[in-house]
Amino acid sequence: MGEPVALRSSDAAVRTSQHVRPHERDVIGSSIAVRDAVKRYGNFSAVDQISLDIEPGEFITLLGPSGSGKTTLLNLLAGFQQLDHGQILVDGKPVQDVPTHKRGFGMVFQSYALFPNMTVSQNVAFPLRMAGVGRSTTDRRVAETLEIMRLSEHAMKSPSQMSGGQQQRVAIARAIVMRPKVVLMDEPLSALDRRLRESIQIEIRDLHQTIGSTILFVTHDQGEALTMSDRIAVMDAGKIVQIGRPLEIYRRPTNRFVASFVGESNLLDVEVLQKRGTTITVKSRAGYVFNAESRDTIEQSKATVLVRPERIVVSNEATANSAPVTVTSAIFLGEILRIQAQMAGGDELLIRCTDTVSRPLPEIGDRLHVGWGAEDCWVLS
Amino acid sequence: MSAVSLDAGAKRSVRRMATERLKNPALLLIPAVAFLSFIYLLPLIDLIRISFSGPTWLGYFQRVFAVPLYWESLVRTMQISVTVSFLCLLFGYPTALLIHRSRGIVRILVTTAIVLPYFIAILIRTYAWMVLLGRNGPLNKMLVSLGILSEPAQLLFNRGTVLLGMTAVLLPLMVLSIYSSVARLDQGLTRAALASGAGPIAVFWRVVLPLTLPGIGAGVLLVFVAAIGFFITPTLLGGPGDQMFAMHITQQADSVTSEGFLQALGVVLLVITLAVVAVAGRFMGLEFIWGGRKLDDTPKMAGPATSVGRSRRGIGSIVADLIGWPLLRLSGHLPAGFGKWTVRLMGGAVVAVLILPIIVVMIISFSSASYLTFPPPGFSLRWYEQFFSDSNWMRAFWTSLMVATVSACLAVALGTSAALGVVRSNIRGKSAIMLLLVSPIIVPPVVLGLSLYSLFLRLDLVGSVFGLAAAHAIGGLPIVVVILSAALQGVDPKLEQAASVHGASSLTVFRLVTLPAIAPGLAAATFFAFLHSFDELVLTLFLSSAELKTLPLMLWGDINYRLNPVLAVVSTLEVLLVVGGLILARPVLATSKKTA
Repeated sequence: MGEPVALRSSDAAVRTSQHVRPHERDVIGSSIAVRDAVKRYGNFSAVDQISLDIEPGEFITLLGPSGSGKTTLLNLLAGFQQLDHGQILVDGKPVQDVPTHKRGFGMVFQSYALFPNMTVSQNVAFPLRMAGVGRSTTDRRVAETLEIMRLSEHAMKSPSQMSGGQQQRVAIARAIVMRPKVVLMDEPLSALDRRLRESIQIEIRDLHQTIGSTILFVTHDQGEALTMSDRIAVMDAGKIVQIGRPLEIYRRPTNRFVASFVGESNLLDVEVLQKRGTTITVKSRAGYVFNAESRDTIEQSKATVLVRPERIVVSNEATANSAPVTVTSAIFLGEILRIQAQMAGGDELLIRCTDTVSRPLPEIGDRLHVGWGAEDCWVLS
Repeated sequence: MSAVSLDAGAKRSVRRMATERLKNPALLLIPAVAFLSFIYLLPLIDLIRISFSGPTWLGYFQRVFAVPLYWESLVRTMQISVTVSFLCLLFGYPTALLIHRSRGIVRILVTTAIVLPYFIAILIRTYAWMVLLGRNGPLNKMLVSLGILSEPAQLLFNRGTVLLGMTAVLLPLMVLSIYSSVARLDQGLTRAALASGAGPIAVFWRVVLPLTLPGIGAGVLLVFVAAIGFFITPTLLGGPGDQMFAMHITQQADSVTSEGFLQALGVVLLVITLAVVAVAGRFMGLEFIWGGRKLDDTPKMAGPATSVGRSRRGIGSIVADLIGWPLLRLSGHLPAGFGKWTVRLMGGAVVAVLILPIIVVMIISFSSASYLTFPPPGFSLRWYEQFFSDSNWMRAFWTSLMVATVSACLAVALGTSAALGVVRSNIRGKSAIMLLLVSPIIVPPVVLGLSLYSLFLRLDLVGSVFGLAAAHAIGGLPIVVVILSAALQGVDPKLEQAASVHGASSLTVFRLVTLPAIAPGLAAATFFAFLHSFDELVLTLFLSSAELKTLPLMLWGDINYRLNPVLAVVSTLEVLLVVGGLILARPVLATSKKTA
């Protein structure tokens, strides 16, 4: 029983190692620098003085709700729209006057945008033909790329005969067939169901390892952004509100918006009692006193602190440093329990804890005791 | 006891089955199909029968192809039709792109400039060209004042004006057909092509053009088929050397001795038209006639249709490679923005050509001069006074109004019922029935008029209001069916189910749910059916009498012997009627555009 599985996984390992051949990895992505980019529609600034530096070969995600300007920023990079002000530099050279088709980027669209009048292989060959690459080279590169995307057997199909996931893999193949130094991806997975989305997320990450291009990925799905990116730029109202590595964005958000948009969060308004460098002691509305971490020393006497739901420790008895809460709802989600509870003073708490056999599912009205460590409590600036 | 109750139960179930049968939506097709069979199919069959009734059964046809007059005219008709189709495509495509690319007020203006002429009578638009190009017309005046001509020249009555007039008349058909294809284009595809390194011209050649081929095909076919049967425009704008085939039929119709031969002429025109449509239908599906998508009862067609599509794609891409690449290489040297400016200039020219003649005629209707001249020496309402005080014009106006009202009612009643039948029933051969319902659009009006003439003679209907209205309803019916089946397809069946679940009977469902949903479509269909009859000339030429003169008939008579500004008044009133109707129908046009 175990043998075929083992065989298959070793097979996969061999295949992956084949694909990361050194000569294919020598495509190294471009650096991109956005300087004071502004794009207005009437009085509305879709992109409002954004500056952003992207390292060569980096996988960077623009994350934000709809209307935050992330797609506009991507369109500005692609050249579909023109900057009102500012500069975009690729490898140090300004590109804002270069038309889209001469920028040499690859791009994947949310709607796939496969040419319905061409077969899969004709779609993938399109960028090569536009670049005037010879027929034999074209055929070889198309075959290679289809192989990487595991589409070889679909080469002669028409896009309309394929499933959504397959179509999106064709669109990715078309975007990377030229081995572009920059690949732009505009919410490429949002039309797919969850399972497929997760498998293609991994595929795209592996692909990024293989081809080494700079990838600029746009999404409104924070889970997707956390999974895939080297760095995430969180956008809101035309501005980048925070940029950093996924872990940093999640653990150390700079403001309320990032804290609540990325992951689930409990935000408590507190009074600052005592400051010792970056560790400060605060008091909640109910009078519960605890320690929290902050990025810098803070001046003000009021603050908002973030406690992630999974960092809250729940017990049935009061301990040192714990606060009593009343359960208002408890939902069993499989591997975890999702509990909502109210603290004295009115603060609502969301708690996620792993399901254990020893603990029965709390009922509405039950009293529990919650607590958290100073390192799990982050002061927003 | 039990046997009796069983019997009663059986009876009840029989009765229930009978009422179920009566509720079958397919029954709604019967009135329209019966109407068309009697007044449209039978006369055409009769026409064909008479054409074979010569001394030998091919006798009349031999004469058609033996007499150089007819043979040459047939060749000429083909030449003119091909040229007009080509010209319409050449100028229509950039115009469709212009509509698609423009935004806001520009888009509204350009669209209006295309749609408005589409609904104005061919007779009036042709008359406008006669005014524009006439000896005292604005073009001659301009050329003389610029010193290009020393005195006004005869610009009318030659092949050039025939081509110009026909192209102008048929351009809106082409533009709207292509636009429906262009509008369906996913903008993402253009962006994807650009992002893949294709320049604007490569994007056009590789992506936009191949994907809009269906619209091009439909447009070219519709224009070509209409041009083959054209009669009004070549008669008014052409010289002796520009006789088109349909004109021979009307001329022969006046002489009694040509019975049989006349019908043979009609059959030749009909067969050519149907052959062209059939060949085209083989390639792109007959849906192009009504500008619709495939009806959902043809799953069997899907298999072979896709294989045909694939082999055609193969040929298409070979052609694209052979011709396209060298052209693309050349176009690389063209300045940037070349395509954009081509679209703007050609589209702008088309808008001017479509709108200027109408504006000139509207201005002339207020002229104070006693003859046609532009610019008018002064302005007055004298021609309006003359129109409204002339009893002949007024009688013609009331006749037209009556005929068009009766005709519209007939077409809407039959057409609505038929549209319900087409959309709601699940019978086999729905496509064939739809084809029958819309086929009057493609039959040359001259042939239809000729075939109806003998039926009307036999039934003593010539010169009767109801007869003429029924004849006009043949052409009004397809308009109603097309508009209403589109409207009905837009009604969510869930709404009707929701109403009946909550206790509404099927009639109540129709009254409270379906009817309000299709009301805008119904209003538009009524207006267009009315307009079709109001503007109809060719059938009327065959079927009316001295006592029954419609407005277009009066216009036709006057254009042929004196061009006075009263005609401009009639034209202006017609334009106002169309503008009013379009404003009324705007919601419908807007939604149909959205779904397209």
